[in-house]
Amino acid sequence: MNANDQELQILLVEDNPADAELTMDALRESGLVNTVQWVKDGVEALDVLFGHGATSAAESHRLRLILLDLRLPRVDGVEVLRAVRADQRTRRLPVVVLTSSREESDLVRAYDLGANSYLVKPVESEEFMKAVGELGLYWMLLNKLPGEAK
Amino acid sequence: MNPETSKPPAAGSGIQETATTPGSVPGLQAEADLLKAGALQSAIFNSANFSSIATDAKGVIQIFNVGAERMLGYAAADVMNKITPADISDPRELIARAEALSVELGTPITPGFEALVFKASRGIEDIYELTYIRKDGSRFPAVVSVTALRDDQNAIIGYLLIGTDNTARKQIEEDRKTLDQHLRDQQFYTRSLLEASIDALMTTDPRGIITDVNQQMEALTACTRDELIGSPVKTYFTDPARAEESIKRVLSEKKITNYELTARARDGRETVVSYNATTFYDRDRKLQGVFAAARDITDRKKTEEALLALKNDLENRVQQRTAELEAANKELEAFSYSVSHDLRAPLRAIDGFSRKVVVGYGDKLDDEGRRQLQVVRDNAQKMGNLIDDLLAFSHIGRREIALQSLDMDAMVKGVADELRAAESQRAIEFAFSPLPRAPGDAAMLRQVWVNLLGNAVKFSRQRKLAHIEIGGSEEGGEVQYWVKDDGAGFDMRYADKLFGVFQRLHRQDEFEGTGVGLAIAQRILHRHNGRIWGEGKPDGGATFRFALPLPAPDDHLSQGRTS
Repeated sequence: MNANDQELQILLVEDNPADAELTMDALRESGLVNTVQWVKDGVEALDVLFGHGATSAAESHRLRLILLDLRLPRVDGVEVLRAVRADQRTRRLPVVVLTSSREESDLVRAYDLGANSYLVKPVESEEFMKAVGELGLYWMLLNKLPGEAK
Repeated sequence: MNPETSKPPAAGSGIQETATTPGSVPGLQAEADLLKAGALQSAIFNSANFSSIATDAKGVIQIFNVGAERMLGYAAADVMNKITPADISDPRELIARAEALSVELGTPITPGFEALVFKASRGIEDIYELTYIRKDGSRFPAVVSVTALRDDQNAIIGYLLIGTDNTARKQIEEDRKTLDQHLRDQQFYTRSLLEASIDALMTTDPRGIITDVNQQMEALTACTRDELIGSPVKTYFTDPARAEESIKRVLSEKKITNYELTARARDGRETVVSYNATTFYDRDRKLQGVFAAARDITDRKKTEEALLALKNDLENRVQQRTAELEAANKELEAFSYSVSHDLRAPLRAIDGFSRKVVVGYGDKLDDEGRRQLQVVRDNAQKMGNLIDDLLAFSHIGRREIALQSLDMDAMVKGVADELRAAESQRAIEFAFSPLPRAPGDAAMLRQVWVNLLGNAVKFSRQRKLAHIEIGGSEEGGEVQYWVKDDGAGFDMRYADKLFGVFQRLHRQDEFEGTGVGLAIAQRILHRHNGRIWGEGKPDGGATFRFALPLPAPDDHLSQGRTS
């Protein structure tokens, strides 16, 4: 889906529509709205990343960041992360885990699999807006990927 | 001696004067006989080791040779034609002998000389023991041979008593008797020892053939002593090869201890025995065999088996309980994960979308509408805090404790600095006294200080200048710490509610909070085998104390070790 979206720069993997909407609100408020693609589970995420041959996100180099929830229906976030790190085309792609879980085991597993950052979604909405907005700005604007540092 | 010559010449040779009747001895043969008799006579009469006493028919001594003189202390002249041998014999023996002979021969015999020679007078060869009395009155045992001397008509003309001193033989006999008695005593003693044992005892020869047993061994095998002795020991055990092996081992190692065997009695009854055995030797250190004791350990065995069964049962139960606990723990983890993850999401939506309403539609709401939306948001936030605290509380129970010696001074000052920074608008005076070190989990104990100091700061906020004292001391194998404030305090009637989860002693509009802080502190201390308690009075401040056990002095390892 949306294979023709040339603007695709952030992949948001989030099964909760309310969280997805609030996340996109926060990114929009930071001025990053046009670059987000939202998928609702791990299967869709893998499909967007690797499923369309030459037109896949991995192939087209149109992706700068994955915002990944951990608990997802069907294929969960951990599996998506593993697949991303296992693939030559995406193994350096920044992945920020965005989750409700504060479980130590989830943190350890995420970092062991190569997550770049781990953010616990704040319940308080102002904090949430601030955290996600800053996160978007940092990874999309400040952070440099290989080949961008000049 | 020549039987041809012994009788008539003996009869004649006995008496020097009366018995020699030259006319009665015919021709050359008689001459030779006489010569011979003379030689014989002189040999007999000059023997110093045999007393030869000849009497006439009445018993009056006619000849008293050198041997007699030596033994009896009389000179021949003292006795010849004066006394009879009865006069130099023990009179009581004569009486006894006379009585015995009277009974034996059925005729009354007088207790005098007759008693000495009566049998000989009847042609019965008579050798017996008697006690001679010496001239000085001392006595000695003698063995005497008595012969009647007869003339040609076979009439008794006298008697010859040849005697030897029996003292040495008597002594040997006495010694032997004493020895025999001693031996019997020893045997009795040994046997008593064997039989007194509660163990079944036996001896075997080096081939394992039983040579002796006690009654317990008979009982153990239900066989008699006679059946047991001479049979191979191995046949009385359920495992003959092992029994035989035990004998071999004793022989090679000189002893074995606590060798377990099962004895099987003839009636099939089996007894587990613990078998101890040693080799034994004679005085020349020559191996005689094996001495073995078999102790009935059936009861001990039963106890051991019962204990083992109990232990196994207990282990099984522990395993089962552990598995149950692990399952329960997993469930709890799954539950708290679910709480952590799934309960927050709707709260975020409630708060997030309330905010969206305020941001997007604020101009369409009046103040009351906005206030009510704020109430929704405040409560969502509060529920978020409750969830966080509840999770923190359940985490305490599951986390592993890493014990180390804690620098409490540094820890408390660090916590106080943070609180001061967070409450920079407040005037708070902390008074620290030096704190002893204690073993504990750094992160957990820090949490205790955060909660106690946090409470002290929170509940003293109505004071213009709040005073918080922190102290500690070591006593009775534990370290105690306290935090004292001059804040709102509490009513001791409700002290039992201080440490309950979600229990609060103050209204939410007085002091915010979820009521989990002290419950967490208590849980941490319980996990350290410590305790916590508090005292206070309304508006009179509160003091919270907690205690941590110190390791025993010799328990060096307990510090810095994960428990």
